[in-house]
Amino acid sequence: MTTFVELLVNGISIGAVYALIALGFVIIFKATEVVNFAHASLLLAGGYLVARLWPVVGFWAALLIGVAAAALVAAAIEFLVIRRANVASHSVLAIVTIGVDIVITTELTRQIGTDVLAMGDPWGSEVVRFGGVTLAETRIVALVTAAALITAFLLAFKYTGWGVAMRAAAEDAETAALMGVRLGRVSMSAWAVAGGLAAVAALFLCVFPTPGLDRSTSLVALKAFPAAILGGLDSTTGALVGGLIIGVTESMMSGYQNDMAFLGRGIGDVAPFLVMLVILLIRPAGLFGTKELARV
Amino acid sequence: MSPDRKAAVVIAALALAVSACASDKATGGAAPATATGGDGVKTGAGVTETTITLSLLTDLTGPYASLGKSVTQAQQMYFEQLNAAGGICGRTIETVVRDHGYDVQKAMAAYAEVAPRTAAIPQFIGSPMVTALKEKITADKILTLPNAWATSLLGSDAIQVTGTTYDVDMINAVDFLTKEKGLKSGDKIGHLYFEGDYGESALNGSKFASEKVGLELVEQKIKATDQDMTAQATAFKKAGVNAILVSVGPRQAASLVGVALASGLDVPFVGSNSAYSPLLLDTPAAPALLKDYYVATAGAPISAPLPVYEKLIKDYEAKFPGEPLDSGVASGYTQAVIIGDTLKAACAAKDLSREGIIKAHRTQTAWDGGFGGTPQDFSVYDKPASLSTYIVKPDKAAIGGSVIFKEHTISDLAKEYQVPPPA
Amino acid sequence: MYRYLAWTGVAAVLCLVPFYLDGFWLQTGLFAMSAAIGAIGINLLTGATGQLSMGHAFFLAVGAYAYVFFSAEPTERLGGLGLPTGIAAVLAVLVAGVAGGLFSPIAGRLKGAYLGIATFALIFGGQHVLFNAEHLTGGFNGRAVPELDLFGFSFGDTPELIVLQVPFGTLERLWFLGLVLVALSMAFAQGVLKGRPGRAMNTIRDHEIAAGVMGVPVARYRAGVFVLSSMYGGLAGVLLALVFQRTVPEYFGVLLSLDYLAMIVIGGLGSVGGAVLGALFVSLLPQLLTKYSDSIPLVAAPGTPGGVSPAEAARILYGAAVVTVVLFLPGGLLGLIRKIRIRPPRLRLPLSPPSPSPETRSPHVP
Repeated sequence: MTTFVELLVNGISIGAVYALIALGFVIIFKATEVVNFAHASLLLAGGYLVARLWPVVGFWAALLIGVAAAALVAAAIEFLVIRRANVASHSVLAIVTIGVDIVITTELTRQIGTDVLAMGDPWGSEVVRFGGVTLAETRIVALVTAAALITAFLLAFKYTGWGVAMRAAAEDAETAALMGVRLGRVSMSAWAVAGGLAAVAALFLCVFPTPGLDRSTSLVALKAFPAAILGGLDSTTGALVGGLIIGVTESMMSGYQNDMAFLGRGIGDVAPFLVMLVILLIRPAGLFGTKELARV
Repeated sequence: MSPDRKAAVVIAALALAVSACASDKATGGAAPATATGGDGVKTGAGVTETTITLSLLTDLTGPYASLGKSVTQAQQMYFEQLNAAGGICGRTIETVVRDHGYDVQKAMAAYAEVAPRTAAIPQFIGSPMVTALKEKITADKILTLPNAWATSLLGSDAIQVTGTTYDVDMINAVDFLTKEKGLKSGDKIGHLYFEGDYGESALNGSKFASEKVGLELVEQKIKATDQDMTAQATAFKKAGVNAILVSVGPRQAASLVGVALASGLDVPFVGSNSAYSPLLLDTPAAPALLKDYYVATAGAPISAPLPVYEKLIKDYEAKFPGEPLDSGVASGYTQAVIIGDTLKAACAAKDLSREGIIKAHRTQTAWDGGFGGTPQDFSVYDKPASLSTYIVKPDKAAIGGSVIFKEHTISDLAKEYQVPPPA
Repeated sequence: MYRYLAWTGVAAVLCLVPFYLDGFWLQTGLFAMSAAIGAIGINLLTGATGQLSMGHAFFLAVGAYAYVFFSAEPTERLGGLGLPTGIAAVLAVLVAGVAGGLFSPIAGRLKGAYLGIATFALIFGGQHVLFNAEHLTGGFNGRAVPELDLFGFSFGDTPELIVLQVPFGTLERLWFLGLVLVALSMAFAQGVLKGRPGRAMNTIRDHEIAAGVMGVPVARYRAGVFVLSSMYGGLAGVLLALVFQRTVPEYFGVLLSLDYLAMIVIGGLGSVGGAVLGALFVSLLPQLLTKYSDSIPLVAAPGTPGGVSPAEAARILYGAAVVTVVLFLPGGLLGLIRKIRIRPPRLRLPLSPPSPSPETRSPHVP
C-alpha cells in the first residue's frame, strides 16, 4: 500500500510538470491553431540559461532570466516564422516548428557539449516523509508551482481582458479582429507565455531526482504531447488532467513492471501512448476538447 | 523520328560512350589484389608505400558524444606519437574520423565511404551500428575494435571486443557483492538496465550469477530517454532488494542512486563500465555516488599507478588542457595501442594486407601492453578476451574521478560461465 | 517530344551510375531511393490529404521486418517462413498496408495535428514490439536480411556477375531494382493524384466539409490514403532492409519519421516530384557535407576542434531549409525549379498550390 501511494504521489508530481508543458501547447494551439513541436527546444533554451547563469547571478535571478529568455525566443518564433508563413494547412505549420526545433536544439546541444549542468536550486536532494511515503522536496515545489500557475491561467482566461481576447480569437478570428482584438498581439503573447512555462518545466525536469541538464533533457517534452492530446488540444483543464494521467500511468507501469512482465519489460514508456490511443478512440477530440461541429 | 526511335538512338550512343570511357571500376572482376612493395612487405587496401589509413567511426554529436570525443582525441594522440617515433614499417599512420551521431544509417554510409581505403578500425562506437555492419565487416576483413562490450559482437574473426563483455563484468560484480558486501543465497538483487544490447547483455550475466548464487533477481528495464528513476527506486524498495546492479547511462545511474538513498534504500550499487562519468561529481548527485557506488570494469581506471597511464595523463593534459580524463581516454588509448601493436606484429611478419593484420592480431595470446589486468587472449573471437574485472569507486580527488577499490580478479563464477552463442 | 528525350537521358545517366561510382555513392543513392519511395507515400497522406503522420518510420519497420520474417528459414531461436524472397517482398508490402488498415479506426476519425500526435504511439509501441518480440524480430540484435532472388537472379554478391568489365555486387544489382521500384512508385502515385481520388483527397485537405457535401466519403478516404501511404512505407522498408543486410530496431525511431516530414516540405507538398526531390536533398546533404568537410568554410572535419561539425551543419541546414521553404518558397524545391523554368517534364502535376479557404487559413493572418 505504501508503495502504491508513493508511486501515485510521484506520478502526480511528475504529471504536474508534464501539465506545465502541455499547458504551453494548449495555449499556443488555442491562439494560433499550431501544434508547436519546437516546444522541446524552448524547454532546453530556458533550462540552459538557468544552468549557465546561476553561478554568476544567483539562482532566482537566473530563473527569472531563463523564463524571460524562453518567452522571448517563443515570441520571436511566432513573429519571425509562424506569422509570416502563409500556408493553407496547419499540418505544414506544425512541420515548420519541427524545422525550428532542429535548428535551435542542434545549436544548444553544441553549446552544452558533453557537460551535465547542475541547476543550482535551493532544494537539493532533500526529501520529506509522510508516514511511510517519501517525496522529494523538488517534487513538492513542482506540484505547488504547477498548481499555482495553472490556476492563474484558468482565472486569467476567464476574467482578464487578455483572456477574453484570446478566447474570442480562438472562437472566430475574423470577427474578433473586427471587434478590435489585435490578433498579432494575442498570438505573440500566447507564444511567450508558453515559452515561459516551458522554462519553468525545464527547471523541474533537471533538478533532483535527475542529476542536471544535458543534451538529452529536451526529449522529455515528447511525453507532454500525449498529455496535451488526450486532455484535448484546446482545453486548459485538459492539459492539467492529461499531464496527471500520463504522469501517474508512467509511474505505476514502471513501478509495477515486474507484475506486468507479460506485456514486455519497459512498458512504462509505452503505456502513456497506449492510454492516449484508447481515449482518442472513444473521444476523438480528447477528454475535454471541443468537438468540432460543422453546420452546413 | 518517333520518340521510341530517338530513345533507342540515345541509348545506343550512351552504350558506346560506356565502352569508350574507361571506368575505374572496370577491373574485369578481378579482386582488388594485394601487392608487394619494394620493401618486401605485402600490402592491401588502406596501405600504400608511405601510409597506413585507420578509420575512427565515432559519435561526436549524438548521445555518446562525450565518450566519442575522449576516445578520438586519445587515439589521435597515440597515432601522432607513433608517427613521431617513425611510424610502422616506414609508413605513417593516417586517421580518418567519421561522426555518425549514433545513427545506424549514417554509420553505414560512413563505413561504406571509408572502408575501401581503410586498413583497420581502432574505434567503432555503438553496438547497434557494429551489429548492423557485422556481416560487411567480416566479409571485408577489416580488423575492428568496437567501443562496446555486448556479447552479440563476439563471433566474427574481424571484430575484436577488448577485455570483458558486460555480462562477465556483472558476474564478477555479483561475486564482489557476495564476498565483500554480505550478499548471500536467498537475498534479492535488483538490476536496472537499458533496453538494447548493452543492458540485455549485462542482464545475461546477472541472471546466470544470481541463479548460481541463489539470489532472486528483480529486473527493471528502462529506455535511454528515461531520466527520472523514482518509480524504479520505489519498485526496488518494495521488492526489498539487498543490492542493485546498474547497466544504464551515467545520468540514470545518478538518479537511481540519489533517489534510493534519499528514500532510505541504503544498499550497495555496482554499475557497468558505461554507467559512470566523472562529470557527475560536479552535480548534486555527487554525495550519493561517493557513498556506496562501484563500477565493474575490465580496464584499470586512469588513476591506477601504471607507467603507461602516467605518460598518457601527462601527454593528454598537455595536448588537451582542461578536458576530462575519463574512462573513454583510457579505453580509447588502450584500443589504439592494441592496433599499434598488431600493426607492428604484422610488419614484422611482412604482411600488412587486411588478412595479414587480422592474422597478426590473432596470434597475440597474452596481450598486456602495460595496462595492468589479466593479459588478453586475442586468438579466440567467440569468447571474451579476458574474464577479469576491476571494482573501482568514484573519487572526487582522483584523476579521472575513480580509484581502484578491488584489484582485478576472475571470479569462479565467471570461469563457469558460457557466453550465449551469437545470433 | 523533348519530354521523352529528356527522360530517356535521365534514365540513361542513372543506369550508367553503377558503372562508375563506388560503393559509398551507390549505397547513398539507394538510401535516397528508399527515402523517395517512402516520401511519396507520406506526401499522399500529409501533402495531398492534409493528414499529419509522425508514424511513417513504423511502417518502414513493418515492411523491413515482415520481409525478413517471410523470407528467412526458421531457426531454433528465430521464426521464419522460408518463402521465396520475391513473394516475401510482396507480402511485406501488403502486411504494411494491413498494419495501416488496423490503425484506420483512428486514422479515419482524427485529423491534422491530432492524428500526428496519435501516430507517435505507433513509433513507441512499434519499437517496444521490435525489442520484445524476440522470436519474430531478433530483439536488439536485429536479424540478417536474406538476399532477394527474383526468377533465379540473385541480388547478392554471388554468383559473380561482370557487366562490361565492371563487377556487379549487391549494391550495383540493387541499384537497378531501386530505379525500377522508384519509377513504378512514382507512376502509380501520379495516377492516384491525377485521377478522381487525387481530387477528392485535395478537397478533403482544403475543405473537409465541402468534400463531405460533394459526396466524398471523408473517413473512408482518410483511412484509405493512410493504408496506401503505409504500403509505400513498407516498400521503402523492404528496399532499405535489402541495402542494410541487417535490420536493427534503433533505426526506426522518431527522428526517421521527422526526416520524412522534412523531405516533403522541402521538396514540395502534395506532389510526387516534390517528394522525390526532398528525399534526395535530405539523404544526400549530410553525406556531401561529411565527405567534403575539408573544403567547406566554417565546417570542421570531424574530430578536429573548433567550428561546426559536418553532422551539426547538416542538421542546422536541413532545419533551416524547412523553415526557409515554408516562408519563401511555397511549393518547395519543385516549385523553385518550375519558377526558374528548368521544367522537368512530366513532373508537372495537376496540383495547383492550394488556395487557402477562410476556414483553414491561420486565424492571425487577417
